[in-house]
Amino acid sequence: MTLALLSGLAYAGVVAYAASREPTLAPVIATLGAFGAVLLVFVLVRGHDDLLGWALALGGIAYTVALVVHGTHVDEAAPLIGGGLLLCGELATWSLDERWSIAGARGLLAARAGAVAVLALAGLAAAALVVSLAAVPAGNGLVWTLFGSAAAVLVVAVAALLSRR
Amino acid sequence: MTRFDSPRLVQYGGLAAVGLLAGLVLGRVELVALAAPFALACVAGAAFARDPEITAQLELGRERALEGEDVPVTITLLSPVGAGRVDVYLPLQGELRAPGGNPRAVRLTPDEVYPLELTLHCERWGAFRLGPALVRARDRLAFHSWEAAVGAGQPLRVYPNAETLHTILAPLETQVFVGNQVSRARGDGIEFADLREWAPGDRVKSINWRASARRGVLWVNQQHPERNTDVVLFLDTFTDVKTSERGSLDATVRAATSLAHLYLQRKDRVGVVSFGGFLSWLLPASGTQQLYRIVDSLLQMEIVLSFATKGIDVLPPRTLPAKALVLAITPLLDARSAAALLDLRARGFDLVVIEVSPVPFVKPGGDELSQLAYRLWRLSRESLRLRYEQAGVPVVEWQDGEPLEVVLEEVTAYRRYARPVRV
Repeated sequence: MTLALLSGLAYAGVVAYAASREPTLAPVIATLGAFGAVLLVFVLVRGHDDLLGWALALGGIAYTVALVVHGTHVDEAAPLIGGGLLLCGELATWSLDERWSIAGARGLLAARAGAVAVLALAGLAAAALVVSLAAVPAGNGLVWTLFGSAAAVLVVAVAALLSRR
Repeated sequence: MTRFDSPRLVQYGGLAAVGLLAGLVLGRVELVALAAPFALACVAGAAFARDPEITAQLELGRERALEGEDVPVTITLLSPVGAGRVDVYLPLQGELRAPGGNPRAVRLTPDEVYPLELTLHCERWGAFRLGPALVRARDRLAFHSWEAAVGAGQPLRVYPNAETLHTILAPLETQVFVGNQVSRARGDGIEFADLREWAPGDRVKSINWRASARRGVLWVNQQHPERNTDVVLFLDTFTDVKTSERGSLDATVRAATSLAHLYLQRKDRVGVVSFGGFLSWLLPASGTQQLYRIVDSLLQMEIVLSFATKGIDVLPPRTLPAKALVLAITPLLDARSAAALLDLRARGFDLVVIEVSPVPFVKPGGDELSQLAYRLWRLSRESLRLRYEQAGVPVVEWQDGEPLEVVLEEVTAYRRYARPVRV
């Protein structure tokens, strides 16, 4: 229950930030966020972890709408949003794993909490690295475009590989 | 071990891909930053995917136990690479319970032998097979899990608690072998039976000198010899009436165990006939080995639904020796067993019916029709009981929770005042 609440809090934080970033579109962003929150609650209550990705995606879309409408200025809080969504997903999954009371599992909570924290912090660091790299004046060249495309293709390939295994 | 991947690996991968592509299309680095943690999680997930190759050994503290006792179980786990979390579940039948928790979660370090101790509480008798244990190992972030059934199954027999009986139900006739039962016949023995006039061949030591002096001719003592008995436990396994905890079959097995224990202690021969949908029997024999044989057969007793017409003709003749005392333990619910018992009596067997009353297990319905049906059912049972009594068969109702000793006393009293006759 605690984990589910924490997961919900992380999600609410993301949506609240997105809504506050662009007050003119706050109802739209809040609606998107609300849909995602309903999905998240459904995932947590009914245990359908297949829908977790959609809930996170709706949170991400809500943020993207606020981001695109707001202007071209780089949002330095983006790593926090990414880390927050990842934390939300991890806490929700952990909450689902702990649905059934298993004797001796309490002793293993610290290890899982540590692992989740390390992953969230590492994610945050990676996202921060991306944002800070973007701040470096490297110019808009074909090389960067190709590099970005290759990275995207690589991620898709990894995703496809993992789904096939 | 069978590997399963968490669906969120694919979801994270998809989110990362969409984020990166959207960042590229919209030219927003924030979206790439949004995707980066998910991409990292995918990489971390792929990096942690190592099969723990768990092996396990299941050991029982003992193979036999009595109802209400605890049996220690050790599941020794070993993994060459370790696992962040291993859930171990030992599937248990309803009669067994693990008060300390089942399943249990443990953490395995590489090459460490981890003995997981469980205590099983045996709530009800039965023959069980424990194992294999089901294990599910997960990496630290639960991106991957591995499941397997490990450890060879082990047998566990839980024996019913036998009631200590002091009353013995004496048979009408004894067998020819030496035993503890004083026979009604006359012969060599300890118990004085009668006096009779001396006849050629009588031993000098049997002469009753006092009676001879009084009568002027030789008189000799006669004794009752000590003989053994053949007891057949005739168990009706056609039907079982039960609530969530207890039932008529449960009571039948308990009574049969207590009676077998009592008679075998007295050097009698005891056999078992399970008369029901599935017919089984044990030929009468004596000794401790026979007691274990009987109890083992009782543990495997179950109700098998059958509509086949069965009489005692289907039983091998040796299962029902002549002059045997037949103790029928039955809920008197199935017409086939009721008829078979009357048939036994008609064939001259010394029959006693211990009726495991199904009445406490049946509650009458609320409406008038249900109550009428209930009363009719009770009346039909009374009528059946009367038929047995008319045939000279003592029928004693035994309710759940009542001592068996009371039932045996009741049969003894019945026999004292209503002598059975040969039909």
